[in-house]
Amino acid sequence: MNLREVVEGEKQVDHEEFLSELKEKNQELNFMREITQESNTGELNGIPFIAKDAICTEDTTTSAGSQILENYQPVFDATVIERLKESGASFYGKTQQDEFGFGTFSTNCAFGTPKNPHDKERVVGGSSGGAGAVVAAMDKPLISLGESTGGSITNPAAYNGVVGITPTYGRVSRYGLVDYANSLDKIGVLARTVYGTAKGLEIIAGEDENDQTTSSKEVPNYSENLDETEGRVAVPKQYLELDGVEEGVMENFQDSIDELKQRGFEVEEVDMPLLSADIAVPAYYVLAMSEASTNLAKMSGMRYGMEKDPEDFEDFNEYFSEVRSEGFGEEAKRRILLGTYTRQAGYRDQYYIKAAKVRTKIINQYKEVFEEFDAVISPSMPNIAPKIEEAEDMSPSEIYAMDTLTVGPNLAGMPMISVPNGKSEGMPTGLHIVGDHFNEQKILDIAYTYTGGDSQ
Amino acid sequence: MSEEETDVMIGLETHIQLDTETKLFCGCPNEEAEEPNTHVCPTCLGHPGSKPRLNKKVLEHAVKTSQALQCDVNEEVFFSRKTYFYPDLSKDYQITQYEVPVAEDGEVEIKVGDEKKDIGITRLHIEEDPAKTRHKGGDIGNSDYTLVDYNRSGTPLLEIVTEPDFTSPKEARAYLQQLAQMLEYLEIYYPESNFALKSDANISIDGGQRVEVKNITGTAGIEKALSYEISRQKQLKKRGREVSQQTRSYNQNQEITEKLREKETEEDYGYIFDPDLTTQELDEEFREKLRAEIPELPHEKFKRFKEEYGLKDKLVEALVSVPEMADDFERLAEEFDTNLAASWMVGELKKVLNYNEVSYDEVNVESGAPDFLYVGLRVVLSHLEAGEFNQRKAEKYLRDFVEQGLDPEKEFSIDDPKADNIDLGLNLKDYKKSGDDEITEFVKEAIDENPDAVEDYNSGDEEAVNFLVGQVMSISQGKADPKTAREKILEELE
Repeated sequence: MNLREVVEGEKQVDHEEFLSELKEKNQELNFMREITQESNTGELNGIPFIAKDAICTEDTTTSAGSQILENYQPVFDATVIERLKESGASFYGKTQQDEFGFGTFSTNCAFGTPKNPHDKERVVGGSSGGAGAVVAAMDKPLISLGESTGGSITNPAAYNGVVGITPTYGRVSRYGLVDYANSLDKIGVLARTVYGTAKGLEIIAGEDENDQTTSSKEVPNYSENLDETEGRVAVPKQYLELDGVEEGVMENFQDSIDELKQRGFEVEEVDMPLLSADIAVPAYYVLAMSEASTNLAKMSGMRYGMEKDPEDFEDFNEYFSEVRSEGFGEEAKRRILLGTYTRQAGYRDQYYIKAAKVRTKIINQYKEVFEEFDAVISPSMPNIAPKIEEAEDMSPSEIYAMDTLTVGPNLAGMPMISVPNGKSEGMPTGLHIVGDHFNEQKILDIAYTYTGGDSQ
Repeated sequence: MSEEETDVMIGLETHIQLDTETKLFCGCPNEEAEEPNTHVCPTCLGHPGSKPRLNKKVLEHAVKTSQALQCDVNEEVFFSRKTYFYPDLSKDYQITQYEVPVAEDGEVEIKVGDEKKDIGITRLHIEEDPAKTRHKGGDIGNSDYTLVDYNRSGTPLLEIVTEPDFTSPKEARAYLQQLAQMLEYLEIYYPESNFALKSDANISIDGGQRVEVKNITGTAGIEKALSYEISRQKQLKKRGREVSQQTRSYNQNQEITEKLREKETEEDYGYIFDPDLTTQELDEEFREKLRAEIPELPHEKFKRFKEEYGLKDKLVEALVSVPEMADDFERLAEEFDTNLAASWMVGELKKVLNYNEVSYDEVNVESGAPDFLYVGLRVVLSHLEAGEFNQRKAEKYLRDFVEQGLDPEKEFSIDDPKADNIDLGLNLKDYKKSGDDEITEFVKEAIDENPDAVEDYNSGDEEAVNFLVGQVMSISQGKADPKTAREKILEELE
């Protein structure tokens, strides 16, 4: 049974079976932060959907993977949740994630580290790790909402061997998303098939008066329009020369290029100097951390965050400090401190303002490439999912370097999709397809063509 | 050192709470609520995941004000986050404008007595008001607990920053009065409303350290706060002590300034662009549309009234100070002597209004008739010009007219202001002068009934005439003209 069959009314979701399988798998893999069941009817015919924990849900706690929001119960549904419920999808709960989205492997979760369904000793990827793992673990049609700031949808999609789409910035409303870095955050969809991501995206996309950054551009019927296509795709030279890309990953990528050529695509190497690791990655982290440090300010124990007895403190500052010291995880504290530094008077020109300028240049570089090409392709991640203990031993800068392939397009706000392109050492790898702003249909079509019309 | 030699530099940062229908970034009503924390929503409470959305009306107000202050309006503006930790901030950052404000580099001419002076406007920007805090049992440093009311959280503010061009508290006050009046003309601010005008002042003397005095409310407060602060600084200097750079607050009850904190370095707010709000384009079309909506401003009106009506400065100033009064004056000036109309509006009417503690525009609103005072003034002026009212009677009429009109029981309607009876129950006959024959009768009666006074007069006591005039006035129930009465009494007694 696949998602298309349910949408087209050929098959029905068995909710009891789904729930018991979800619980059972979760026992083993810990990809869910909370499981609920809420049935619906409509176009989506009761297809289960699950959301990353940073997306607000009115009746289910929303902690964004952080202890500081452990019991936080939003008073409203995020726009994407509202739209899915209205379309007849059934809500099944929230997935584990890196605290506030700060991580590459979902090893910074306040509620336990989720395990990869392909190998329980390995990570699920981050930060929407749970959202990727649940799709892989459940052999059922399912729409899983993830959120990407620097690669958090296509990364777990690759590590879990599922399809994940990150839309253009502004295509999907962020209203109700617990913010990480507002100018970079995008809510997207993970599913087993390209069709599933297309269906999910067309439901959640579109203008929202509650989010001024959403675009008023019309949303195409991505799923109905899906069609096999041809075209020209570019491979950035900088990615091919990147240190630390695993051999198996590179082999699978070369196979993908051959496969695309066979299906009628022209593939060419291009020079995109700004995508090199020492430019895009620092620019991304400076912007993301600067914004994150302001977003997390509200978690001070005043209105949000854990409560302490004010009697125990000299003044407000001491109280706020204590709440934040205790409530935030290590990575959150690191990002708050770095982000506060990069936007401080005397440093902001050197870091924050400069990073913003780099972003503009990266966008322009992509725009130039898209004048000639339909998409830019690369491996989704430079490696297969590492073992949990390996990941935990990595230094922060080693971890940040893992994002090299994904931060460029994320910084530029381009839409991107990761589709499985084989296995290495028994673990899945992904093909990353990046398109021009609001050209989701094109990358969906390329992914659809690559996967042979979702016939896998 | 004499006082005049002291080199005083004052700059003001004034916050104007805008009386818009909804708050700056959400749909909550922007008005006083009966209960704390009732006019709130996820956005103004800063709920995780909530997003601000800009109230475009505020942008219009800001651009209009900028144009009236002759500022350069920026073509593209955006909002920034100013991060600081304080219990009144729901998000622990405030959305404001930093790099690019709505407008910069303006100028406003103020007048203190006969002296005119240009005050530079550094910038004008939009920001959100934080919540209201109440520290129970002390100030923030030693209170038992703090209550927070988020009804005010997200209320729109305009902040207008001046250059340090003021050299006296009087100038600062004149500026604020003029600013308030201009905003009233722009229909952005109403002095009667609960929306406050608050200033922070930066003061230094003799090139010394700068002291910031925060939270000075209104226009009268500024003069008092600054006067106190200047004399405090002078005292320090006199005793050979340094004025240290600090932040002080103004204590309105005691009319003194109090130290809040010693300021060694500027606070660092770590400004970044607010990525939830899009850049706003203030293009030529938008600016032109708003420029066209700007009415004749007080200083322009002042100039025109001087030229057109040739009135004294004081009269024009008073007329112009209330837009509605200025409009009514122009209508009355078509019919009546401009000096007579102006002096009645500014003199007698003002006394009546002050006595009843109402303002010009309030009376019209309360009476339910927009032309209420205009009608009353027409009755007075037309009868005065026709010689049918004397000064005292006219005053009485005006007083009765206003007071009756304020009585909620009375219904107001005057179709014809010249008609003898109006619905307020005022009979014009009661206010009219008595005719000559009638006065002669009253005079005779007074003389007949007061032979002692007549005798006193005859024996050389001229004061007795005053007594007899008083008697005539009382017999006529005030209708007699006292001047005529005196003449007739003297005639009779000769």
